[in-house]
Amino acid sequence: MIVKVRRGLLAVGIATLVAGVLRLRGATVEEPKGGGWRELTGPELR
Amino acid sequence: MGAVGARVARQLLYLGPLDDLVVVDADPARAEAVAESIGEPARVAVAAAGEAEDGDVVVLAVPGSHVESASAALARGAHVVSVSDDLVAVQQLLGLDAAAQERGRHMVVGAGFSPGLSCVLAALAARSFERVEEVHVAKVGTGGPSCEHQQLQAATEDGMDWRDGAWESRRGGTGRELCWFPDPLRGVDCYSAALAEPALLLGAFPDATRITARAAGGRKAVLLSRLPKVRRDNPEGTLGALRVEVRGSQGPSHDDRVLGAVDRPAVAAGAVAAMAARWALDGRLTRTGASGLAGLVEPGPFLAALAERGVKVAVFEGGQHGPEVATAGRRS
Repeated sequence: MIVKVRRGLLAVGIATLVAGVLRLRGATVEEPKGGGWRELTGPELR
Repeated sequence: MGAVGARVARQLLYLGPLDDLVVVDADPARAEAVAESIGEPARVAVAAAGEAEDGDVVVLAVPGSHVESASAALARGAHVVSVSDDLVAVQQLLGLDAAAQERGRHMVVGAGFSPGLSCVLAALAARSFERVEEVHVAKVGTGGPSCEHQQLQAATEDGMDWRDGAWESRRGGTGRELCWFPDPLRGVDCYSAALAEPALLLGAFPDATRITARAAGGRKAVLLSRLPKVRRDNPEGTLGALRVEVRGSQGPSHDDRVLGAVDRPAVAAGAVAAMAARWALDGRLTRTGASGLAGLVEPGPFLAALAERGVKVAVFEGGQHGPEVATAGRRS
C-alpha cells in the first residue's frame, strides 16, 4: 500500500515538473507572415 | 534617485540653458555624487518640492507615490513631471488635473519609457486616422532594480482594460499574447498587468472602444524572481522595447498602424522626462492640467527632438492590408 502511494506521488511529482517546465518555456515563436520594422525619420515626424 | 533620475538631470543640461538644477535624493551621498558628476549649475538640496518656485519645473523620478510631492510643487507654482509607472499613483496624479489647471501649471503624468514614450507613439499613430477605435500597448524590459520591482508587482495585480465605455478588470499574468517587437527583441509573450497606459491614453482618445496594455514577464517572471539570484541586478536595467498598435478609421476605411521602439528603458525614460520638463518650461505643452504625454505634446516634433537625443522609433509595415494586419506579430 505504502509503495503504491509512493509511486503515485512520484508520478504526480514528475508530471508536475514536466508540465511546469513546458509552461515556463512557452510556445515556439512564429514570425509575422510579412512586413518588418523600419525606422521613422525626419519628414515622418513633422 | 535611480537609473532614470540621474539621466533626467544630465539630459536637462543638453536641452537648454538652466539657471539652477537641484538634485534631491533620500541618500544625500547619492545626490552629491550625481550633482558632482554633472557639474555647474547642479547642486544638492533636501526637498525639491520645498525649493520649487513659481515657474520652475519639478521632475519626480524616485520610487513610490509622487502625489504628495506633486501637490506641494503645484502649490508653490511649479510645473510637475512624474515618471511614475504605478497605476494607482498615476490615477491619483491625474486627479490633480483641476488643481493644476486652476494654477495654470502643467502636470505631466507618466513621462518615462512606458508610460511616456508609449503614449507619444500612440499619439503619432493616431494622426493617421480621423477616428481612433482601439489602442494596444505592449512593453518589455526594465529600467533598473526599482523599475523591475514595480513591474513584478504590476504582474501580480489586475490590469484595467478599457472596453466599450467601461473599465474591465483582467487578472494579472493572464491573457498571453505574442507581441512582435523591433529587432533584436522580436517575439515576446506579453500578459495583462496593472499598467498605467489605459488610464493615461483614455484622456487623449476618449472615443476609443478598446485600450489595453500588456507587459512581458507575467507569472513566469514573478515565479523566477522568488528563486535565489545567480547574478546581481543590473543597476542600468535591461534592453527594452515598445509596441503600440492603433486601429482607426479614415472615412469609410478601417486600418491600423503599428509603431515601436527599442532602447534601454532608463536611457529613454531620462530623455523623455527631460524633454517634457524642457517643453513645460518653454511653454510648448498644448494645455495646462494633469495628463499623459499623448494629450500634451505634438508627437512629431517631440519624437524628432528625442531622435536627436538618440531615442529612435520605428513603424511596422509591409504586411497585408485589412484585418490581417491587426494580427501581424500578435497572437490572441
